[in-house]
Amino acid sequence: MAWVKSVSVVSEDIFDEDGNDIILQHKEWNNNMSKRVKDGYRDGVDAGKEASLQRGFNIGYREGAEQMSVVGQLKGILSALQCWCQLQHPGSPAFFSVSHLLQDVSRHEEGLIERMKMSMGQQRPPPSVGEITEGVEDLGMEHSSTGCGGGGCSKEDCCREEQSPDGGPAALQAPCQGNTHPALSAGESMEQLLKSCMDLVVELGLPEELFGHLQQLSESVIDRRQLKLAQVTKTTSGYDVACAVPDVDAIGLRFCV
Amino acid sequence: MNWESGSEDPFDSIFMADNRFHCEAYREGLAEGTRQGLLEGMSHGKMHGARLSAEMSFYYGFAFAWKCLLQNNTDAKSRKRLRALEALAEHVQAFPHDDPRHASLQPDVEKARAKFRQVSVTACPGFRHSSVTGQELVP
Repeated sequence: MAWVKSVSVVSEDIFDEDGNDIILQHKEWNNNMSKRVKDGYRDGVDAGKEASLQRGFNIGYREGAEQMSVVGQLKGILSALQCWCQLQHPGSPAFFSVSHLLQDVSRHEEGLIERMKMSMGQQRPPPSVGEITEGVEDLGMEHSSTGCGGGGCSKEDCCREEQSPDGGPAALQAPCQGNTHPALSAGESMEQLLKSCMDLVVELGLPEELFGHLQQLSESVIDRRQLKLAQVTKTTSGYDVACAVPDVDAIGLRFCV
Repeated sequence: MNWESGSEDPFDSIFMADNRFHCEAYREGLAEGTRQGLLEGMSHGKMHGARLSAEMSFYYGFAFAWKCLLQNNTDAKSRKRLRALEALAEHVQAFPHDDPRHASLQPDVEKARAKFRQVSVTACPGFRHSSVTGQELVP
């Protein structure tokens, strides 16, 4: 460090009596000072970590809780529907449709948790503007071009009402694997799953209150996605990219890239 | 003490250098440690918040859906189930499970788990959710 050097030079001037002694003293001085610097730095890091860990934990906790709220509720709703179908119509197509959709939701939930685990392991530095811009592109508008029939989906007719082969309800068909399509953001996948569930509720003639609740969840997911998109867009056009780190992470942008 | 002007007196800079280096490095370390701690804390908090929220939201969704399915049934058994479901939904909504500073978070979570066990036994015999196995919370 610059100040270590400057002080060493000063000491050389003061104790300039014997060349060998000076070299030894110089070395000893440097060793002592670099040790002090290392100790100070380590103490500072420890103190800083101790002071900010809990604050970070609290922020992250809320973020994580918010992220899983909808998918958790949807999983609970579908589990209840599965129980109900099992009791009311065991072995019916409705039961299998609900089970299938429940599996998709569970996969989506596991995917979200996995992403969090990955980000925990990586502890990456703040993303560059380029990364965020790519993320915005993915978040934004690949939805229309890579829908259900995209490369990740083997069934052409899945999730498409108009292509229902037997004329039956689309919701009762196997839900699309594209729910976890990598090109779709977490929010978009969630919207698809909620829509499938709403279709299912309508097809089974279940109470409107349940449909209304699912609609509310869907709206909250859309609102949240748009809010995040607006935040990221604002950040990329601004100058303080580092401030966007939690938000970018929260919507899983880095995993879309 | 102003360290910059301290260089005017060479003895000062020698005798106090020890302290000065430590302080300067400490400040640098403190900034880096704060950044690291914030990131690490966020990452861990996110995972814990996500797990607990997923579990509590599951209970709420489960209770809400069953409530909708049973609301038109008038028999005594259904009424009893409805009451249990309502109690579970109300309890999950009543405490801030997204706030790690909530004083009675762990007892409230345990209570929700217990209520869910009761509900799942009455509403859906044989149903079991992996979350009910119990998770350790890190406040």
